[in-house]
Amino acid sequence: MTIKKKIILGLAVVLIAIQFFQPLRNQAVEVPATHIERVYAVPQNVKAILVQSCYDCHSNNTHYPWYSRIQPGAWYMAEHIKKGKEELNFSEFGDYSVRRQRNKFRAMAGQVKDGEMPLSSYTLIHRNAVLSPEDKQVLIAWFSTMEDSIK
Amino acid sequence: MKNLTLSIIAVTMAFITVSCNQVSNKNEQSSNDTSDVSQEQTVSQPNGGDTIAAPGVSETPNGQQTTATEQEKKFSIAPIVTDYLSLKNALVSDNDKAAASAGKKLLATLNKVDLKAIPADKHKQYMEIADDAKEHAEHINENVGNIHHQREHLASLGEDLKDLIDLFGTSQTLYQDHCPMFNDGKGAVWFSENKEIKNPYYGSKMLTCGKVEKTINSK
Repeated sequence: MTIKKKIILGLAVVLIAIQFFQPLRNQAVEVPATHIERVYAVPQNVKAILVQSCYDCHSNNTHYPWYSRIQPGAWYMAEHIKKGKEELNFSEFGDYSVRRQRNKFRAMAGQVKDGEMPLSSYTLIHRNAVLSPEDKQVLIAWFSTMEDSIK
Repeated sequence: MKNLTLSIIAVTMAFITVSCNQVSNKNEQSSNDTSDVSQEQTVSQPNGGDTIAAPGVSETPNGQQTTATEQEKKFSIAPIVTDYLSLKNALVSDNDKAAASAGKKLLATLNKVDLKAIPADKHKQYMEIADDAKEHAEHINENVGNIHHQREHLASLGEDLKDLIDLFGTSQTLYQDHCPMFNDGKGAVWFSENKEIKNPYYGSKMLTCGKVEKTINSK
């Protein structure tokens, strides 16, 4: 048996082994009272976009695709979601101070406008999360109205 | 073949150890964080002496309470203002790297603030402002290469600083300036140590755009 074969076999074993280490899933059954949809009236069209393009990483409830259990991708995804929720969590939006909410609305509008969000690494796989120019308009307009309304 | 089995076992073991370590590292990290906080709190007790300062002023004997009131008078946002100004000046000169390090410094300053020195009636408001300001300082630090994003956070910081000045006053004369264009024409505020307009939101592109809204005298 050559060294090369050993290495390949070793890697295969590692790959199989890590499948047994699955990160905790980011899923919640209930919509908490602090969820943005329970704190503010979110229009249907806005909500549809948020669900499609934002909640996977910015809420306590991720819609996982089938391949999300394949390691090491699952770790990568879990890290991503953790970071995303630290920055902005729609499920806990009601817990933010008014100041923070206002700034979040402003930041969201800016991020969408600049094309920073949704992340390109996310839309690469989730093609349906890509925001159309119309989607962007809808979001920016609503975020902007919300920013002004909670002064 | 024996070698192979051995190496497979070794690799798997190594992997398991690593992944387990990761988990425990995380735990350690978070416990370290809390110990940092408590350390800071103890360090930031200048009059601690030999008495062990207990959190919660109300429980301490009379002697301690007087020192607490003395501290209240001493609370000043001057270090925060200083760091804000150097951050603002970095953005005036379009320097994203300098802005990032100024953001880091501001974050450190905010983390060092002796919360016990803040008057009780202003405590909650201060905490809200500081939490927000920390987030902006952190983002400015993380966004070398994206000066536009740094400037967006400066705009929010400007509002935080405005509220801090309203609450606690300033020990140096400051000029509150207004840029009408920033944030999609909603405008943004900034503070300067000089009367001359130097716009941090557009830098060299529109350096003299904006106007002084008011002069805040030191007190």
